[in-house]
Amino acid sequence: MRAGLGRPGARPARAAVSATPIGDAAWRARQRARRRREWLQQGTLALLLIALAIGFAHNVAANLAARQIKSGFGFLFDPAGFNIGELLFDYTSRDSYLRAFAVGMANTLRVAIAGVVFASVLGVTIGLMRLARHPLIRALGGAWVEVFRNVPLLIQLLTIYLLVTELLPDSSGAWTIAGAAILSKEGLQIAIPAAGAAALLIALGVAVVSGAAGWLAARRWLTVGAGLVGLVSGSVIAIIAWLATGAIGGWSQPERDGFLISGGASLTPEFLALWLGLSLFTSGSIAELVRAGALAVPVGQTHAALALGLTRGQAMGAVILPQALRLAIPPLASQYMALVKNSSLAVVIGYPDLVSIANTSINQNGQALEVILIIMAVYLTLNLVIALIMNTINARVTRAPR
Amino acid sequence: MPLHPMIPAALAAVVGFGLATSAHAGKTLDAIKSRGQVVCGVNTSAPGFSAADSQGKWTGLDVDFCRAVAAATLGDANKVKYAPLNSQQRFASLQAGEIDVLSRNSTWTLTRDASLGVVFAGINYYDGQGFMVPKKLKVDNVKKLNGATVCVQAGTTSEKNVADYYGANGLKYKPVVFDTAEAITSAFFAGRCQVYTTDMSDLAGARTKASAPDDFQILPQVISKEPLGPSVRRGDDEWFQIVRWTLFAMLEAEENGLTQANVDAQKSSSKDPSVQRFLGVSEDTGKLLGLDKEWAYRIVKQVGNYGESFERNLGPKTPLALPRGANNLWSKGGLMYAAPIR
Repeated sequence: MRAGLGRPGARPARAAVSATPIGDAAWRARQRARRRREWLQQGTLALLLIALAIGFAHNVAANLAARQIKSGFGFLFDPAGFNIGELLFDYTSRDSYLRAFAVGMANTLRVAIAGVVFASVLGVTIGLMRLARHPLIRALGGAWVEVFRNVPLLIQLLTIYLLVTELLPDSSGAWTIAGAAILSKEGLQIAIPAAGAAALLIALGVAVVSGAAGWLAARRWLTVGAGLVGLVSGSVIAIIAWLATGAIGGWSQPERDGFLISGGASLTPEFLALWLGLSLFTSGSIAELVRAGALAVPVGQTHAALALGLTRGQAMGAVILPQALRLAIPPLASQYMALVKNSSLAVVIGYPDLVSIANTSINQNGQALEVILIIMAVYLTLNLVIALIMNTINARVTRAPR
Repeated sequence: MPLHPMIPAALAAVVGFGLATSAHAGKTLDAIKSRGQVVCGVNTSAPGFSAADSQGKWTGLDVDFCRAVAAATLGDANKVKYAPLNSQQRFASLQAGEIDVLSRNSTWTLTRDASLGVVFAGINYYDGQGFMVPKKLKVDNVKKLNGATVCVQAGTTSEKNVADYYGANGLKYKPVVFDTAEAITSAFFAGRCQVYTTDMSDLAGARTKASAPDDFQILPQVISKEPLGPSVRRGDDEWFQIVRWTLFAMLEAEENGLTQANVDAQKSSSKDPSVQRFLGVSEDTGKLLGLDKEWAYRIVKQVGNYGESFERNLGPKTPLALPRGANNLWSKGGLMYAAPIR
């Protein structure tokens, strides 16, 4: 465009007034100057932010020292001094605060993963119910979503916990289910194979192998449905393998001796209430996401599928749902992250998750600031991991077809 | 180029904020006098110590102490604002300056005294940790509770003590930890846990709220020392002295036989030099504390002595009916001993 100035007589006045040199070298010089200016500005801003952060930290440290409140992360290696009611690995009151936090994080992960799985299953089911043709099924789905999405999670947790502790029988009059499980106010005690961890690993291995086999086999007929078939077949065969380990190696039954129950595994009412509460609450939102995704698929797709002679079920499974789930993945990531964050309400119903153990630690050693920083870091990491996984899935399903 | 008008305002705000934070410590009495109220941190609901009735009126041993502090500093025992705090907020509120004194049946321990930036001003109730079980379990000794589920409140000394006790005796237990006393009592009375452990006075108070109090028994074992007392922020020695000597004044009044009923008569007619000094007739002990000479007289007149406060809140006519026991005066076999006011 600058070439126009080279033509004789073309806007001579402008060429005379403007002092901007023309040509490639001049342009490169201008770019260099601009880049230098930008780096300087960004460098100054970065230094300012760092100075602000240092200023804040210094102010906090000075105030803590002035009030003679202990600070520092050394307390992590002191003995914790309190016991925890639900353990995935060994822990006694003489272990360090760091180990106590690890137990708390394991409990949080346990309820978060269980909650994510159950909420997704429920959510997809209810979402499909809301898209059904039968008005009763649609109404039931709608009622579920409205109830569980609109009542605050805290109230739902308290209600479920109250029901669980009031309605279940005392340990003296516990219900025995099929001779293998005992249900009482103390929770659900189930018999597990005596091999314990080995049985679990075998079952997981079998689940992965048979799930992959089922998926590959079903891929010939379905797309998204193939994944579901793989999941279902994997779970069923895993349960059979687990039961087989028990049948071969013997069962570890839960046995009472006074108050002590040894053997078997148990799910406490706190875990059950939290898991159920989180799953129901999040399933309402996930159902709406699935429905929104299905409705966002252009209606021409349904028409085309039906015109090609697919039944409604085939159209849903092979055409609509794959596209709907692709659309739903980013908001689904938010729902999973919300579930992880909501699990911090465990402290209200007595489930020893990370926040509950952190609360106890703050009261025992008084270092609220450090402990809260640790909790924030843990939740941030958890949510970033979820975001990473979901973004990878999203990138894979939205890549252009080859 | 003229400065943007917001810049001086922003600078003033930053400087003011900095000044405010640094000028905070050391001036509690001035702040109370200008506010006209003592802000007292109390329990959300601890019958006998600090609880609000259905009309919103606060009563209890700790509440009486707050009123005594207000009577001594501001002249009127009713000039108190009560801030109900749960076990996690209590010390943080005190550190942050939201309350002036924490009178919330809190145990005096080394960790709390040394690392939280607070200092305990005395002991107004000697207590110990105990266990409550339903009578139908037919258990008479804590050592028979191996493997039991124990309800305990998050962040209290009870959590640590029960871990120590069970560990020392080689017993196992499953703790269920809640953050509010209301959640624990509802879970315990519903039968979720077999044992509830906290201070004996707390157990007695919680039992009064059960629908069938006679179904529960408090086991006789006391597994720890729990000296409960008021605490204040570090760094303000003047305020610390006022709170400490208010407690001593209530005890000294009981030692000298001064009650709400007879204090006026004693003021005008007593010949006992220690009584005259106490009531400000012969000497002004108050000005050394930053108060006026009738500070101790007002405490007894408006709130009563320690024994009267105990009688009113925890005595035989109340649902709790706790014995004086260790909380009696030293001259009567208890542990309550006031430094002399002279």
